[in-house]
Amino acid sequence: MSDKKENIEVWEDLVRIKDLVLSLFICSATSLGGYLIAPAGQQPLVFGLIGAVAGFIISAIIIKPKRNFSYIDEEQA
Amino acid sequence: MMDVVLIIQMVVAAILGAGLYTIIGIAPGTDETAVLAPVTLLLVVSGMEPILVLTFFIAAIVAKKLTDSIPVAIAGIPGGVMSAPMVDHAMVLKKHGKPDVSIRKMASGSVIGTIISVPLSLLLASALVPLADVIEQYSSQLFFFGAIFLALMTKNRLFSLVSIVPFAFLIQGLRNLYWEIGVVPEDTTVFTSFFLGITIGPVILKLFELLNGRIRRDLPRYDKKEIKMNKTRAEKGFPNPFTILNKKETFSSAVSSVFGVLTFFMSPVGITIFLGETIASRIKNPVKRAARAVSSMDGLTNAAYLSGILVPLIAIGYPLSPTALGPGHALFNAPPVFTYEHNLHHILSMNEFVIATVIGSIVAISITFYITIKYAQPICAFVFKRIPHEAMLGLFFGLVIMLAYMDAGVLNIAGVLMIGLVAGFLHRKGVNYGVQFMTLYAAPWLVSLVF
Repeated sequence: MSDKKENIEVWEDLVRIKDLVLSLFICSATSLGGYLIAPAGQQPLVFGLIGAVAGFIISAIIIKPKRNFSYIDEEQA
Repeated sequence: MMDVVLIIQMVVAAILGAGLYTIIGIAPGTDETAVLAPVTLLLVVSGMEPILVLTFFIAAIVAKKLTDSIPVAIAGIPGGVMSAPMVDHAMVLKKHGKPDVSIRKMASGSVIGTIISVPLSLLLASALVPLADVIEQYSSQLFFFGAIFLALMTKNRLFSLVSIVPFAFLIQGLRNLYWEIGVVPEDTTVFTSFFLGITIGPVILKLFELLNGRIRRDLPRYDKKEIKMNKTRAEKGFPNPFTILNKKETFSSAVSSVFGVLTFFMSPVGITIFLGETIASRIKNPVKRAARAVSSMDGLTNAAYLSGILVPLIAIGYPLSPTALGPGHALFNAPPVFTYEHNLHHILSMNEFVIATVIGSIVAISITFYITIKYAQPICAFVFKRIPHEAMLGLFFGLVIMLAYMDAGVLNIAGVLMIGLVAGFLHRKGVNYGVQFMTLYAAPWLVSLVF
């Protein structure tokens, strides 16, 4: 399981390098893949966008967010 | 005269546009050009009634601008290029456990931007009709002076100023290479992917740095991020932007919206950075300062966006603003349906422009503002708990790679990475997005000046 203190900051939030590489790879492959497999005569961009969203969903499922989230019950700010 | 059937069709088009782009806007990293241009193009080419296309488009941009504040507020990831300048301020609110406040303020600023922008853009467009020829002739110069102006406004002004010409040469150099080896036809100017390359520049630079073992080992390491969010009362009834914003915020949102309309031909990102910082810099309290900045900036981007599409469309008929060149380009040129000699500018009357704009924006505000305000907190909570930052970066990166390939093949993936590396470096040295975008627009003219 995850050791302590292995996350780095990229663009204002924390990521684990291995997970980031995985996600970049998945999303690039699905986006570009979707674009390339689009049948002739169809808008390839639409397939690419679908691929991008699919890659995003896959990454979101297999990678855990590096955040501990909780609500504070305070009525005033 | 318009008949009832057409009005009903317009409302339906607006509902579809607002609904679709409410969802798309929430997804982080969805570049406006990337998500709006292809859909608009499809609608135009499919033969949809021109006035319905315009209604759809207006509803779509208003909705998109309302919801793209959500990823900025909760993750600091711009939900589009236009929201990039708000990141720093949104991060302050996020740090203080108030991402939902950030969303409410931004969305309300957006509404004010729309309310100001629609009538003012229509007025400005009518006033500019006589000047259309001159403006069209000097658009590149306008972009160039815009870049210089914005460079002078940055902290590192000499560096920014000097970076304009080399950066323009890099951009034109790649384009010329593509023409020479024939990966794109001579009359095609690679644009969208370069634009995205600039946007994602800072991330690309960081990723390249991770390849260096020494830098990688020296990076600070963190445990999981602790996020605590204040639970706020649910809004009762229909949310009112004028009560969400205090008087000062309302006023500065309105003022910046006016500026947004007047500077429709410039990169909204640059203007947003400049005005947002000017307005907010005098406020001491960091939370108040951030709230003021995000509301004014969102008002401004929304106003600049709407005027950027409406003014060129109504007054000129040529895409003479970053918005018109990017997301709205299909409204000007989408062969075989629209060409520069025959597009919405020539087809629709002033009355039709007004009706389409009003219906589109009112429908979008009613639907999207309501959803954004009512559900800001559950949306935030869901994203924090379920959506890893890696997936957002991956999505953005994947889109850039795909659009790079679409613009000019495999070679352009390398080209866009190159642009991203340089843009990321410039960004780190204080050359903001505004200067870089203006340089991108002015590059062909600037380089032709020397040769």
